[in-house]
Amino acid sequence: MDGLAALALSIALVGVGFWALIVRRNLIWKLLGLNVAAGGSILFLVALAYRPGARPAIVGLGPGPAADPLPQALVLTAIVIDFATLALALVYVIFLTEHRHTQDVHRLEREEEWPQP
Amino acid sequence: MAAALSGVLAYVGCGLLGFIGAPRLFSWLALLAGSAAFLLWAPGFPEALVGGLPWGIAVAGDMWALGLWALGIVLHAAVLLHARGRAGAFHPLTTVLIGACLAAGLSRDLFNLYVLMDLTSLLALVLIAFERRPRAVWAGLQYLVLTEVGLILYLFGLGLVYGKLGTLSVSSLAFRGVDLRDPALAVGAGLLLAGTAVKTGVFLLGLWLPQAHGQAPTEVSVLLSGIVVKVGVVALARLAEAFPVGNLLVALGIITGFGGLAYAFWERDLKVFLGFHTMSQLGYMIIAVGLGAGMGALLYVVAHGLFKGLLFLAAGEAVEGTGRREIAALAGQLSVPVALSLAVGTWAIVGLPPLAGFAAKGVLAQAAPAWTKTVLFALGVGTAASFAKLLPLFRPVGKGRVGGLGVLTGAVVGFGLAGILAFPELTSWRAWGEAFLAVAMGYALYLGLRAVAPPLARFTFDRMLVSILLGTVGIAALVALGWLS
Repeated sequence: MDGLAALALSIALVGVGFWALIVRRNLIWKLLGLNVAAGGSILFLVALAYRPGARPAIVGLGPGPAADPLPQALVLTAIVIDFATLALALVYVIFLTEHRHTQDVHRLEREEEWPQP
Repeated sequence: MAAALSGVLAYVGCGLLGFIGAPRLFSWLALLAGSAAFLLWAPGFPEALVGGLPWGIAVAGDMWALGLWALGIVLHAAVLLHARGRAGAFHPLTTVLIGACLAAGLSRDLFNLYVLMDLTSLLALVLIAFERRPRAVWAGLQYLVLTEVGLILYLFGLGLVYGKLGTLSVSSLAFRGVDLRDPALAVGAGLLLAGTAVKTGVFLLGLWLPQAHGQAPTEVSVLLSGIVVKVGVVALARLAEAFPVGNLLVALGIITGFGGLAYAFWERDLKVFLGFHTMSQLGYMIIAVGLGAGMGALLYVVAHGLFKGLLFLAAGEAVEGTGRREIAALAGQLSVPVALSLAVGTWAIVGLPPLAGFAAKGVLAQAAPAWTKTVLFALGVGTAASFAKLLPLFRPVGKGRVGGLGVLTGAVVGFGLAGILAFPELTSWRAWGEAFLAVAMGYALYLGLRAVAPPLARFTFDRMLVSILLGTVGIAALVALGWLS
């Protein structure tokens, strides 16, 4: 894929992700939107490493210009962090579902339904 | 450098070992090792690259690292003394969390700061939800999702800056003198700033803060308000060093200070009230960072960590002891140590001498230009006004446990006295008179505004998201258009 196309796609992914995060009422959908947006930011970093005509940044692929290895190293960390965030958030969504019997954000926010401390 | 890194390693290692067994023992061990490491590197060390050239991670033992380490060690000691009964993963989690904050103090690399900010968010969520109260879980979940949105924006900014300049080290960015007339760089800097602002709790971007800090268990609120938000402040200070965005930070600080105050004044829940005050006090720190008042900003960060930690510890004890959260319902219900600690904390936060708040506010005011002095004074009046409603709580009944309250009370008093001794200009009649005048005006304001009840917008989850995105667009546009620069 061309560098510019990847950049455009990454921005589109973030837009779609944030859109889902705002307009969906279900928590699972919101988390999926968050994950799509995070995927967009990861793709953005990968796309930055693109150099025209370069080979992948892997040792032993022969001579010639290579793609920028640093953004790809950063992306590995970012992917792990996104995975951890999604997993942890889902655990607490399950908890809320068990205790409040809903995943609807509007219902979760209604004050009178909360058990008093 | 080796001492500082081994201190961080000891914290994280002891925290992880604590998950296997003997959690309190390993936490004490981490505290001991951390303090020893701190004493070894204490005057500071110059910047070095961990991992070698050319892409090592820049770390330095500068004044921000000193401040965060001192704060982390005192707060950890207080929490360890206080939370004797906490079982299971509580102590290991707090140990790793403090280790991450200590590492963030050392870091001078934008990506490394991103990783550490995210790590603190994840650990903080587990700790906020530790008691399994559905309300706390919901507040923590909002916190995680919103900071994650902020950090996605941060990653975009990081990519733009790296793509243009090919470096992520704060020092080399500062050395080059980044020119923000380039639109891509300006948007990048704006996104970095906005992402960090979400994590820090700037008004309209970090509106998750009061609920997350207010609903968390007692000791966790202490750590969240004491040190975790300070990681964001340090990250903002690093960004202010790398990019010329000082004036924008001053503007954000003023908005945060007064925005937090407006909500705090009419808040009835004691711990959420303190959460809104953390936000308004962040205003002071961000103004100080934006003005480039290094020493003033640092003293304020440490002082606020100490007295807000004390306030949250006392408030948490009060709420747990009585089972009520509303300020009005707690009057005349608190034991002697709790009421006394609340009084000392309030005395410090409104900036009355000779406690920590007075010393920090005094040093900050000296570094500020004339018009900001007026703003800071007005913020002080507002703080005093909103804390006036705590006055009925200071009448104690019966005895209670002291625990970590003693450590933090001693730290607040000691910090204030040391500050006054170190800065002789704080002993002037003028400084003391201004402090008492601000409190008197604040009380008058409280009496005047008590009966008013303005309709303040309630921020639901979706509205917070929209305000984050709009705030980000606003900040990026301000940086790109070059206003306020």
